[in-house]
Amino acid sequence: MAGKIPVELVEEVGLYVSERKIYPREQDGRFQRLRKAAVIWLLGMYYAFAWLQWDDRQAVLFDLPARKFYVFGLSFWPQDFFYLALLLIIAGMTLFFFTALAGRIWCGYACPQTVWTEVFIWMERWTEGDRNKRMKLDAGPWNRERIQRKAAKHALWLVFALWTGFTFVGYFTPIRDLAARLSPFEWSGWEVFWVLFYSLATWGNAGVLREQVCKYMCPYARFQSAMFDRNTLIIAYDPMRGEPRGARRKNQLASVLERARGLLGMDVATSAVVHAAQHRSAADLKMGARATTGLVVDAQSGLPPPPVVVSPEDLGDCIDCTICVQVCPTGIDIRNGLQYECIACGACVDACDSVMDRMGYPRGLIRNTTQNALEGKPSKILRPRIWVYGIALLCLVLGSALGIATRTPLLVDAMRDRNALYRVAQDGSIENAYMLRIVNKDMNPHVFSIRIEGAPGISLVESGATHPAAAEEVLTVPLTLVAPAGLAKGRMDVRFVVSTEDGKIEVKEETRFFGPF
Amino acid sequence: MRIEAEARFDHPPRPMAQRVGAILWPSFFAAGVATMVFFAFVDPLLLRDLAFPEFEISRGVGYTLGFFMFWACTAGSSLFTWILLRPASRFNKPLAKE
Repeated sequence: MAGKIPVELVEEVGLYVSERKIYPREQDGRFQRLRKAAVIWLLGMYYAFAWLQWDDRQAVLFDLPARKFYVFGLSFWPQDFFYLALLLIIAGMTLFFFTALAGRIWCGYACPQTVWTEVFIWMERWTEGDRNKRMKLDAGPWNRERIQRKAAKHALWLVFALWTGFTFVGYFTPIRDLAARLSPFEWSGWEVFWVLFYSLATWGNAGVLREQVCKYMCPYARFQSAMFDRNTLIIAYDPMRGEPRGARRKNQLASVLERARGLLGMDVATSAVVHAAQHRSAADLKMGARATTGLVVDAQSGLPPPPVVVSPEDLGDCIDCTICVQVCPTGIDIRNGLQYECIACGACVDACDSVMDRMGYPRGLIRNTTQNALEGKPSKILRPRIWVYGIALLCLVLGSALGIATRTPLLVDAMRDRNALYRVAQDGSIENAYMLRIVNKDMNPHVFSIRIEGAPGISLVESGATHPAAAEEVLTVPLTLVAPAGLAKGRMDVRFVVSTEDGKIEVKEETRFFGPF
Repeated sequence: MRIEAEARFDHPPRPMAQRVGAILWPSFFAAGVATMVFFAFVDPLLLRDLAFPEFEISRGVGYTLGFFMFWACTAGSSLFTWILLRPASRFNKPLAKE
């Protein structure tokens, strides 16, 4: 018993030192399988959609030089910028709606940052091995094995990152053409630059920065709690069941759900969590999880004293194995309470479930649930917040769909001749010159005719002319309006009416006619 | 056995005037510089003719709109920086008692 206790001072993550590297432990389970499926589905869409064809063009193509966006059967012109703004609002509202309903499923399952990070971690596992092997490898010397494994990892990462960058550019310049120009190499300087730039960004974000993007760069992580309430689904540890945590022998104790102790009160359980976080066990300290919740960082008042463990009978169901911390891709301890660093991936749920299975305890000590359910109160799904977000979302989606479906495939811009306000002809009549830009956004050719309305007496000099436009052609038509002498005084409003010959498509464009003041 | 070093210093929230000032003042300054440089090369009347020929916008109105647009952008950026630099524990407050 006697003898010196080996003591070592552990520095909390210092203010100016870089973050401790996180080695997420691999974990199987319901949520991880769902996550894998989401990764394959979403990245599959990203890598495959660029290769799809629609008629005789790329299905999804953002043709910047031509200022046209194609998304399957739809085409968007700069004038449709409005719909891009609507799309962004819809995306935001969708995020609000699903956050209020199901918590941060975006973060764990759909965000490009976590999705690509997941794939990079897979590659790290293939080349460097599991969590323990990776930690050992990084702690060890630069020997042959370490160099080989690191080189293999970076080679895989590099190929994957380059493929990602290539696909990215493939959405802006036709990807089949880009691939065809790969050998012999005939890419333009900008194509090379953007492929490399996006590859570097992928490599840096998914390979190097990883969870730090979520913790220090992501605005959503910081404001998502505004959409949360006690009925939102969260990843939560059940302290009433788990506390006080502590190791025990297998088969020594039944679950608290099956023995006399039962659940603690929420107050006492919370106090136990605070106590445990401030007096961490050796195993827990080794994990180095950062404690950032107000619950364990700030001074608490009004909490009862933590429960005292006299016999194993007093223990809760948490065996303090710290596997929930080891599997966490952001390196937090979910037992400290809900925290903004949690991306709701559910790895700790799967980890804890597998431990509970091994202990012969019921699952769900860490589970995907609501705060109300955790406290034993009923959860309410259809609440005002959900209705407001849901109805706003529905209106926006329907409105945009209707707007896009009923777009006129014709666009007219009238530009006045900027050199002269008006000209006086020899007979005293007043002339105004215009440039009319007619954009045939349709995939079919049309013949357009032009007339004016809204100003009696003013006539269009070129009134009989017709203007054929091929599919997606932009015409620039010079026009002259003339008013007989003495009619035009000051400013008058006129309208150009451009229509197809069958009159099915018609667009009016307002402009002004100036005479002497 | 391992003993944890003292928890790191978590600065208490600064007064509201300090926070608002630190966001609005640098962004105001940056917007002023941006406005001067931008309008030294671009005439607001030219912009009006290109973008909104149907509105009567004088130079003065153009400068004003331009400045406030720049300020909105720079203040938005400052606000974002402030949000990202707040300590984690500010976002991880315990749930309020019902």
